Amino acid sequence: MPAPLLPRDASPAASGDLFNVLFDGPDVRTEVVSTGRLRPVGERPSLSEYTRQLWQRRHFLVAEARAKVTAGTRETLLGTAWLILKPVLDGLTYYLVFGLLLQTDRGVRNFLGYLVIGVFMFSFTSRCVTGGAQSIANGRNMIRAFAFPRASLPIAVILRELLNMVWVFLAMVVLIYSLPEPEITTWRVTLVPLVFALQVIFCTGLALLLARWTAAVPDVKVIVQFAMRLWLYGSAVFFSYDRFLSHPTVLNLMEANPMFRVLDMTRDCLLYGVTPDTTSWIVLCSWAFGMLAIGYVVFWRAEESYGRA
Amino acid sequence: MAALDVLDESTVAVQNVTVRYKTPADDDGARNSGRIARVARAALGQQPQVVVRALSGISFVARAGEQIGLVGQNGSGKSTLLRVIAGLEKPAKGQVLAESTPVLIGVNAALQPDLSGAQNVRLGCLAMGLTPEETATAMPEVIDLAQLGKAIHRPMRTYSSGMGSRLRFAIATAANPHILLIDEALSTGDAAFRERSEIRMERLRRNAGTVFLVSHAAQTIEETCTRALWLNHGRLVLDGAAGDVALRYRKYAWALAKGNNADAKQIIETAVSERRETAVQIHNPSPENARRPRHARP
Repeated sequence: MPAPLLPRDASPAASGDLFNVLFDGPDVRTEVVSTGRLRPVGERPSLSEYTRQLWQRRHFLVAEARAKVTAGTRETLLGTAWLILKPVLDGLTYYLVFGLLLQTDRGVRNFLGYLVIGVFMFSFTSRCVTGGAQSIANGRNMIRAFAFPRASLPIAVILRELLNMVWVFLAMVVLIYSLPEPEITTWRVTLVPLVFALQVIFCTGLALLLARWTAAVPDVKVIVQFAMRLWLYGSAVFFSYDRFLSHPTVLNLMEANPMFRVLDMTRDCLLYGVTPDTTSWIVLCSWAFGMLAIGYVVFWRAEESYGRA
Repeated sequence: MAALDVLDESTVAVQNVTVRYKTPADDDGARNSGRIARVARAALGQQPQVVVRALSGISFVARAGEQIGLVGQNGSGKSTLLRVIAGLEKPAKGQVLAESTPVLIGVNAALQPDLSGAQNVRLGCLAMGLTPEETATAMPEVIDLAQLGKAIHRPMRTYSSGMGSRLRFAIATAANPHILLIDEALSTGDAAFRERSEIRMERLRRNAGTVFLVSHAAQTIEETCTRALWLNHGRLVLDGAAGDVALRYRKYAWALAKGNNADAKQIIETAVSERRETAVQIHNPSPENARRPRHARP
């Protein structure tokens, strides 16, 4: 029995198309498309292409952030006034509990200023992280309607909080200078924006990281809330870390904590007229840029998955 | 022997796409699982999960200038197919290739519920990658196409579903997409809007675009589409001229409505037997292939 006239290398896998067309009957119509013109849909672009697309959408990021500045307070009577009132009331509560009742203020110079900086600056991180974590779920309608780099959503949350922060920052400065206890004002005040910039970079990375995790497992949202509370207590927001000086493990943990560094450095510059030491800068810079790099890559790697139900 | 060369006019290629969902279900079929798993589920308050096959083995190639209607009963996989083509859903098997990013107009209620219609238009245009200048030029046209009157300045959450879908359609066409996927969005619009949207779609198609349209009304498919796909339980029943497919689907739906299940089954079986299977071959012109011709002897 003669072998069918086939190219010798025509294993069914290698030339399935020809095989089908010739021998599989007239029922199968084979259409050939070329990857030269057609690309797989929803395919994740390369990291540099992704960054380029993100930069191209910068106007969308700003518009999205600005449109949502007042989103959290729109239903309330006082509206945007809550952006300032909320941290003020937070500070007052902590002052009552920790300053007057538990007297953790012993040994802290200018405890009111110390507390105000702690509460106001930490609230920024807190809102960025919780908002960023939920940004994918909250932006589902946009994700389903338009094709854009999904990292736009967590980054727009950071931008929105930055716009909010303008008012919070003003309120903080007014409070610090109107409070009775004296502060030492030097040129070091100009270092505060630098510290804040590092805080923003760190928060962006963390928001991207948590946005991916929360999109994959919604339970992370609940865990984030607990973690934020733990972090608040562990960042010397309303007590002095000097109390732990005797305990080396706790002290080490505290000093590795980026938010503790942010608060400590801001207080040094704004209240005490001290230049933050080099270790502080190194620790905070590593956290900020390391977290941004990790968060960005981790978020990008799951780019195709965010559109799913 | 019918190897069609569609290299230069194909816009979307769907190759052997299969989609499965894992969803909670409380029917008996889902209960055949181990005791420990059942206890754990009960403790966490979760329902048993079943795997639903939403699409299986769908293959076809769409070309420039085609308006393709998708017909089928509720739950037959029409919307899932659109979501897969749009890249929002990743198929378990197979792949989808497209010539440009497909734009999907879905049935979800509002884009940004708290923002006004006009703000949504602006955000949508920017999200699709238009520059602020292009957005400014496109906005009057979009608002004109949606024809919402003063409601364009009200928050989108106050819109009726018809108003919402009109606005979404108008936004989606602002970027002149080559591939437009419409999921029943237009069925909620009134007659005047339907007229205008058809003119808009016609224009998009003339620009070498492809429009996919899901509709329950076979008549809409017959009137506006050039080609139709009939899906039943995630399988492709028929792929052909819109008139023919829509007519058969109408007969089938009519038989079902009258309770003639045997007739309905007969119609489907005839359609399946007459259908020509499509196999999509993806040719990859990579340097490696170019060096050695495909059928050359070693």
